Amino acid sequence: MKLRLSTAIAAGKAAYWLSRFRGYQGSSLPGKVARRLYSGTLRDLAKQVRKGIIVISGTNGKTTTSNMVTEVLMDAGYRVIANREGANMIAGVTASFLLNAALRGSINCDYAILEVDEASMPLVMAEVTPVVIVLTNFFRDQLDRYWELDKIIAVIRDAIKKSKESSLILNADDPLVAQFRISTGLRSLFFGLSRQELSTSASSQTRESKFCPVCGTLLTYDYFHYGQLGNYRCPGCSFKRPRPQLESVELTYVPGGTNCRITYGQQAFDLAIPTQGVYNVYNALAAFLTGLHLGINPQSILSSLGRHQSVAGRMELFNYQGKPVYLCLVKNPTGFNQGITTLCAAAKTKDVLIVINDNEADGRDISWLWDVDFETLSADHRPYPCFICSGQRGEEMALRLKYAGIPIDKISVNQDIKAAINTALAGHADSAFLFSSYTALWQVHKLLKQLTAKGDPR
Amino acid sequence: MIRICHMYPDLLNLYGDCGNITAFVKRCQWRSISVSVQEVSLNDRVNLREQDFIFFGGGSDRELKLIAADLTKRKEELIEAINDGLVILAICGGYQLLGHYYLARDGEKIYGLGLMDFYTQAGSRRLVGDVVIEMSIDGLPVKVAGFENHSGYTYLGSCQPLGQVLSGNGNNGKDGLEGACYRNVFCSYLHGPLLPKNARLTDHLIKLAMKKSGDNSQLRPLETELEDQACQVVLDRLGFKKITR
Ligand SMILES: [Zn+2]
Repeated sequence: MKLRLSTAIAAGKAAYWLSRFRGYQGSSLPGKVARRLYSGTLRDLAKQVRKGIIVISGTNGKTTTSNMVTEVLMDAGYRVIANREGANMIAGVTASFLLNAALRGSINCDYAILEVDEASMPLVMAEVTPVVIVLTNFFRDQLDRYWELDKIIAVIRDAIKKSKESSLILNADDPLVAQFRISTGLRSLFFGLSRQELSTSASSQTRESKFCPVCGTLLTYDYFHYGQLGNYRCPGCSFKRPRPQLESVELTYVPGGTNCRITYGQQAFDLAIPTQGVYNVYNALAAFLTGLHLGINPQSILSSLGRHQSVAGRMELFNYQGKPVYLCLVKNPTGFNQGITTLCAAAKTKDVLIVINDNEADGRDISWLWDVDFETLSADHRPYPCFICSGQRGEEMALRLKYAGIPIDKISVNQDIKAAINTALAGHADSAFLFSSYTALWQVHKLLKQLTAKGDPR
Repeated sequence: MIRICHMYPDLLNLYGDCGNITAFVKRCQWRSISVSVQEVSLNDRVNLREQDFIFFGGGSDRELKLIAADLTKRKEELIEAINDGLVILAICGGYQLLGHYYLARDGEKIYGLGLMDFYTQAGSRRLVGDVVIEMSIDGLPVKVAGFENHSGYTYLGSCQPLGQVLSGNGNNGKDGLEGACYRNVFCSYLHGPLLPKNARLTDHLIKLAMKKSGDNSQLRPLETELEDQACQVVLDRLGFKKITR
C-alpha cells in the first residue's frame, strides 16, 4: 500500500515536470496520473495533515478567501499546503498534496487550505475530513457546466452533512449559505455586514433566491447589500438572518483600500484592507473568523489581512504612464455588477475594455451577460469615451452594450486582444478599466504586465 | 402603443431571459413606437385580452408548479386573447407550460395549459450547446441562432415546429424539430437570449404585436449590423455562411 502511494507520487511528480517542460501549466494532470495509479493518494496524504484541513467553497470569493486564510496561518507560524487557483477540482486538490509530499509518501504540514469547486465538493469530501468548511455565497454561475443552483446546494449539503466533526463558517447575509446550519445540523459560526450607508431597500440586481430555503415562503428584506445578500426574514417560519459572531459595523472606502470597524462579541477591531469592494470585505471577514476559530491571535490576523495583495484580476491595479489601469475578472452577473459599481465610483473619465470568451472554463453559455446591469452606465455615459469589446464573444458583448443604451459610436469590436488593450491604454480618459472572462484573463494579464508598471500610479 | 406583459419575471428568470424583453422594447423605441411593460406575478390582476405581447421565460421545476396553478386560472382569457392575435414568446420552462404536461424524472406530472398539442418528459441526457435552426419568416427562410440547455424532451403532436434544426438538438435531439408555433404563439428552447441577435424574428414579433394593437402601419427598417455580426459568430462556428439564403 505504501509502495503504491510512493509510485503514484513519483508518477505525479514526473507528470508535473514533464508538463512544465512542455510549457503547460499542468495544475491537475499530476493529480489525474497519481489517482489512476492509486486511488487512495489523496486520502492517504490528507490524513497526515497535523492540525487540520480547511475547505473553502461557494460561488464568488473562494480564491481570495483561501489566499487570505493561507496568509493568516503562515504569518502565525504554521506550515501550510494550499491548492493553486484553477486547481480546485479533485485532481487539482490531489496534485497540491502530492507535489508537497516526499517520495516515500509523507507530508509535513500543519494545515491544508483547499479551495474546492462547488460541483467537486462530494468527491473531495469523500476523501478528506476538514475541521472547518467555509461557504462564501451562492450565485448562478456557469449553469451549462453544472446544474441549477438548487441542485448544487443540495449536493453540497449532502456532502457536508456526513462530516460530523467539521465546523461551518457561514455568510449570515446570504440565505442560501445561512441555511446550512439548519440543513446540516453542524456547529456553525457566522460572519456578516450590518446595514451600511450604501445598503438599498430593494435589489435591482439578479436575485438568486427570493424564497425561504426552509419552507418556501417569499422572504422579506429590511435592506440589501447586493444580490440576495442582506437582512432577511421569513414570514412563514423562524428562518432569518442569524446574528453574526463577527460583524463589520462600519465601512469606509479610502483611496486604494477599505477600512472597517468589526465587532466580535464584546471586542472591537479596526481592520484596514488594501483592496476595494464590499465583496473583499466579506472575504476578509470569512478569513478573520476562520483564524479566530483556529485560535490565532486577532492582532496577528489584522496585520496579515492588512498586507493582503489582491489576486491577479481582482480589481488589480496597474500603472500605465501615470494612468491607473484596473483589471477585473468577470464570470457571473453578481461579480460583473460589483465591478461596474467600482467603475462608476471611480473619478473623472474612464475607458472600458471587455473581453469575453465562451470556452468551457468561462461557461459556454453567455446569456448571463444580459443579466448584468450595464444600463447603469448608459444613464450618464459622459464619463466613458469608449467601450472596446474583444474575445470570442466580443460581438455579443457589443450588442449587449447597444441594447443597454450606450451610443453605438462609442462601441467597437476588435478581435486582436493586444491591439484592443493598446487602444484602451492609449485612450484619453483619466483611467482604464479592463474586464475579462476567465480564459482570456491570463493573456490580458500578461500583456498588461508587459505594457505597464505594477503599483500605484502618480 | 404596444402593451407588453412580462409573465412571472420573479420566478421565470433563468439564463438572461430579460434580454428578450430588452430587445423587443428597444427595437420598438428606436422606431418611436410607444410601449408599456407590465410585470405580472402570481395572483396579480391583469386582463390578458388587452395585451399585445406577452413573454414567458425559463424556470426550475419548483417555480413551474406554482405558475401552472396560477396560469390555469387565466386559461379562458388566454385562449380568447390568442384567438384574437395576441403574440406570445415562451422559452424553455415557459414553452413547456403551454403544452399538455411535463413528466419529471421522479414520475411527477406537472400539467400545463394544453393550449398547444405537445408534451414534454425529462430525458436521460441534458441537451446543451449552440444551436442553429432555420425558420420561415414572411415566407423567407431565415437562420436563427441561440444556446440550448434543457433536460426536458418535447414531442409535438399536431402543432407546427418553430423551425428545423440545422445544428444542435432542438426539441428532443431526435426528430430535427425545434420549438413550436401556433397562430402568433412562438415557443423555443433557444435562450442565449433569443431575440437580441435574431433581429428578423424580433421585428416579425413586433409587426404582429402592432397589428394586434390596431396599428396597421409599415414597420420602419432598422440597422442590424451588430445584431447580424453577433449571430454570425454562432453561424460561423457551426459552419453556416449566411443568415438568409
Ligand atoms: Zn421559512
